[in-house]
Amino acid sequence: MTVRWGAALRPAGQAAAALVATLAVAAALLAIGGHSPVEAFSALVRGAFGSWNRFASFTLVQATPLLLTGLAVAIAFKAGVWNIGAEGQLYAGALAGVAVAVSFPGAAGASGLWLLPVALLAAAAAGALWAAVPAAMKTRLGVGEVITTLLMNFVALFLAQYLVQGPLQEARGVFNQTDEIPAAAALPSLLPGSRLHAGFLLGVVLAGAAWLYMTRTPGGFRMRAVGASTRAAEASGRFAAQPVTWLAFLVSGALAGLAGWVQVAGVTGRMYEGLSPGWGYTAIAVALLARLNPAAVVPAAVVFGALSAGGGAMQRDAGVPEAWVRGTEALLILAVLAVDRGLEAARRRRG
Amino acid sequence: MRVPAARLRDVAKRFGRVVALDGVRFDLAQGEVHGLLGENGAGKTTLARVMAGLVSAEGGSMKIGGRAVAFGNAAASRSSGVSMVHQHFSLVPRFTGFENVALFNRDAWSRRGGATAGYRERVEARARELGLDVGLDAPCREMSVGEQQRVEILKALMGETRVLLLDEPTAVLAPQEVEGLFAVLRGLVRSGTGIVLVAHKLDEVLAVADRVTVLRKGKRVLTTDATATSARRLAEAMVGSAFRPDRLADKMYSDFGKMSSGRHDPVVQSGVEASRVVASLTDVTVSSRNLARLRGVSLEVRRGEVVGIAGVEGNGQRELAAVLAGALRPDSGTVNLPDVVGWIPQDRTEEGLVGRFSLAENVAFALHDDPACRTGPWLDWRAIEHRTAALLDEMDVRAEGPRQPAVELSGGNRQKLLAGREFLRSGDLLVAESPTRGLDVKASQAVRSRLARTAGADTLGRPGKPPPGIVLISPDLDEILELADRIAVMVRGRLVPLPPQRRSAAAIGEIMLGTGGTGP
Amino acid sequence: MAETAVMASFLTAAVGLAVPLALAALGETVSERAGVINIGIEGSVICGALGGALGSLAAGPYVGLAGGATAGCAAALVFAVFAVHLNTDQIITGAAVALGSLGFTGAVFQSRFGATGVALELETVPAWEVPLLSHIPIAGPALFHGAATVYLVYLLVPALWWFLFRTRWGLALRAVGEAPEAAQAAGLPVKATRTLAVLFGGLLGGLAGAHLSLVHTGTFSENMSAGKGFVAIAIVVLGRWDPRGVLAAALFFGCAEALQFALQAMDVDLPYPLLLALPYVLSLAALAGWFGRSRAPAALALPWPKRPG
Repeated sequence: MTVRWGAALRPAGQAAAALVATLAVAAALLAIGGHSPVEAFSALVRGAFGSWNRFASFTLVQATPLLLTGLAVAIAFKAGVWNIGAEGQLYAGALAGVAVAVSFPGAAGASGLWLLPVALLAAAAAGALWAAVPAAMKTRLGVGEVITTLLMNFVALFLAQYLVQGPLQEARGVFNQTDEIPAAAALPSLLPGSRLHAGFLLGVVLAGAAWLYMTRTPGGFRMRAVGASTRAAEASGRFAAQPVTWLAFLVSGALAGLAGWVQVAGVTGRMYEGLSPGWGYTAIAVALLARLNPAAVVPAAVVFGALSAGGGAMQRDAGVPEAWVRGTEALLILAVLAVDRGLEAARRRRG
Repeated sequence: MRVPAARLRDVAKRFGRVVALDGVRFDLAQGEVHGLLGENGAGKTTLARVMAGLVSAEGGSMKIGGRAVAFGNAAASRSSGVSMVHQHFSLVPRFTGFENVALFNRDAWSRRGGATAGYRERVEARARELGLDVGLDAPCREMSVGEQQRVEILKALMGETRVLLLDEPTAVLAPQEVEGLFAVLRGLVRSGTGIVLVAHKLDEVLAVADRVTVLRKGKRVLTTDATATSARRLAEAMVGSAFRPDRLADKMYSDFGKMSSGRHDPVVQSGVEASRVVASLTDVTVSSRNLARLRGVSLEVRRGEVVGIAGVEGNGQRELAAVLAGALRPDSGTVNLPDVVGWIPQDRTEEGLVGRFSLAENVAFALHDDPACRTGPWLDWRAIEHRTAALLDEMDVRAEGPRQPAVELSGGNRQKLLAGREFLRSGDLLVAESPTRGLDVKASQAVRSRLARTAGADTLGRPGKPPPGIVLISPDLDEILELADRIAVMVRGRLVPLPPQRRSAAAIGEIMLGTGGTGP
Repeated sequence: MAETAVMASFLTAAVGLAVPLALAALGETVSERAGVINIGIEGSVICGALGGALGSLAAGPYVGLAGGATAGCAAALVFAVFAVHLNTDQIITGAAVALGSLGFTGAVFQSRFGATGVALELETVPAWEVPLLSHIPIAGPALFHGAATVYLVYLLVPALWWFLFRTRWGLALRAVGEAPEAAQAAGLPVKATRTLAVLFGGLLGGLAGAHLSLVHTGTFSENMSAGKGFVAIAIVVLGRWDPRGVLAAALFFGCAEALQFALQAMDVDLPYPLLLALPYVLSLAALAGWFGRSRAPAALALPWPKRPG
């Protein structure tokens, strides 16, 4: 298939419109709050894009977990699976990856090369397992996944708390964190001199793969069809929706699980209680800004990575609280929704 | 002379380019049952909805009980005493019968929002008075369709009702229930209420109506006393001409295999006869909501033939189609179906196309498993778009191209696309439910000729594939007579074969009315 | 004697923890009965906590409660404008409102009080003691010596039950949540009904938040709602959309949470994070069991008017 430029640019235009609307509302809110929007935005931009190293070490590093969780949410939503549980799946993945990695403290050098892929697999499997519970409850018992995935988030958080205080706590026993993972389990650096790690590349590759799958394979077509309408899929497509739903849950969970372990293996080196500042929830905004298109999740995640990287600079240089950035993320979701409805209304008027 | 219950003059209504009502005049006397007849799309339901204030009219006037009532104002229609019982009930399924009645009637509640004392007794008394057997404490979704309808009628009649509009009330009822309903209606007219009975079953209308009005293409063509007419005259008025002689009697035919009559005609010889059976049903029974929808239906479909299923809607056609499409498992009986079945469903909005998918993506529902549209593991969108473009052209679908979202197409074009897609589906059986309903003449012709060519040896669009067998289900007798190699009529869940030598609209009509054929 | 003291303090803690959950869940019950699932109730809770804190600082704790209710309503209003009037997806909109509320309350708090790390001290809502009843052994102090919000819950449960199942407006509200088309055919204003139901839910969510800041802790901290709004949504399911069941489910969660304090007080060395996870695991189990098949309002979370394909 030739790339449909017209069709591809329309959502990009919509996303841009939503971004502009968000910035306008955010600027107004900043002004009401007694801050200078210009000062705040310029601090944010400097913080996120000020230098090549800032961009790589902060913006792209912050974008990495958002990229993976954003993919997780985009694929699930596209298939009609309301997975609000990326946060919990992320923790499950991080825990599994760490558990594998710290079990082999001696792994190093060429003989330890197997450890990283095994840990990655473990993380993906754990994330998928965490998503399998809501998947089973939805497909077998008809229990809505919104509530179950939310509940599973809390279970994962408390489980992580328990493990880093107990069985997985560092040998010193001082802090509630795990031991440092062995060097063989760490993700290699992508750019010498920066903090950017191979996890970002992994995310980009997976985004490309997911895009190919969703747009160019029969399986991806079935997933989108089920997401658009289960009844249409079964009546027009003559295939069962349930296996497709299962697959969407598992793939989504695996991607979110990878996000958790990638953060540990690429950035923190250890697992601790507050590993994620809510990436699993921000991922909803990322996926939505990307219009649920896996390829577009990459730039969308970078936008959010920049917001998050610039947020710190904004607080330091312009005195605007960092929490403000999270509010702006929500504004962005609402703006995307509003632009969407506006276009639909316009189309109805025309039709 | 008494004030008429309703009096409409020169009522005009368009939907887009389609004229639904064209200067219609309609009088409803107090205490009469007035049957409103017409084919699908003749405007009878629209006229009822105008009276109920649910549809606005562009021209004309309306008086209810002698007072002028504005068009398009449901509240005004209701307060002047018009109640409508819809074909699709507007009940809250989980509410009990009483809750549904109370929800609809302001009288049920005190000003402070609590229940009015004694209202329940009033409802019970009214139900007794009307002879409506209704369980007030059961949730409506656990009721039979007939009982739900009685709740709906009771709900409508708790207030003061001058005009009661019933939209195809018998379509969902079993014969015994129809009798019960008519008994209620006869009681009701004695109290002076005027009743409009929208229907297309002639015998039923004649059984209960005092007068009958026939609409055709938005125009009133006949109003007459029920005693002064006959089913045949009404049918002629509905279709606009006398039933034609058996113009197609020499058309190729064959027997229906093991059909309910069990007849088998060994003398039939044709190419069709010799070819392979692609689908067969044996003694298939389906019931839903305590109502038998299919009763012992047997049918064989052979490659390259069109089997026409005629009949008044609601006699089991939808269930038959769903069984043939593999979407409904029968309660009993044997079903042999090919792997892939093309299906143009009746419910096209819910089951047909996905609005936000492009036309090519909608066509891909039929092609995503087709090896010709794959390259290795990849879907070959270029091929799919190519096939879609050819389809748009062939079916005369007005669209910008394969990448246009389906939601932007008009209803008729969506339908042509849907029909075309199902022709494309490389199956051995195609089930088409009213494939030309809602289409204009030209589009209908396109769909019909495509059906005919698909059944013939023509393999356009299906290179190298033998033709499928086609089951054409349609209430449109002309369509059936034009296209079908063999005809059977659905009557109350049974499939009655039309003897080939009696191939005519009149003969089909007699079977539909239950007065001819081998009978159920 | 020691046991009864432990028991009494356990019950007091359980009731105190159950009240904000019950308030938010009762509000959500009304909203869901009208067919709207508002996971933005979490946002109402955190907004209510901050609104309560600001109100209390300005004019005392009762104004604080009013401020909390107002702030909760405001968050719900944003949700209603999008999800009801613009007909956007209820779940995504709710997630956005929750996320935004958590962010903006944090930002406002930091702007106003700085990120100094010194805990804000708020004047709390005084406890009322019911004569006689509060002297019932063990349960008395827990149930009848509490702040206004506790008694509000006692009042709301029967009142909401009466409203939902015995009045015209309750019937209309449930009709809107079950079959909006039928409700509209009966002449009911679907969108207005849904908006009011969502706002009422936000009001109670805000009160739940105000309870957190003005009764439970006497301070405000960022993210102090800590998912209570999300838990409330599970409680509504467990309580089967009935105020009485919702109260029971809220008490269950309160007890489970209070258990950890009681066990700590008794020097039982149990991994408390696992205890904290217990109510969530039990909720999942309950949903998987017979609760899951309980009847959600039929039109819950569905767009209305229906959107084309």
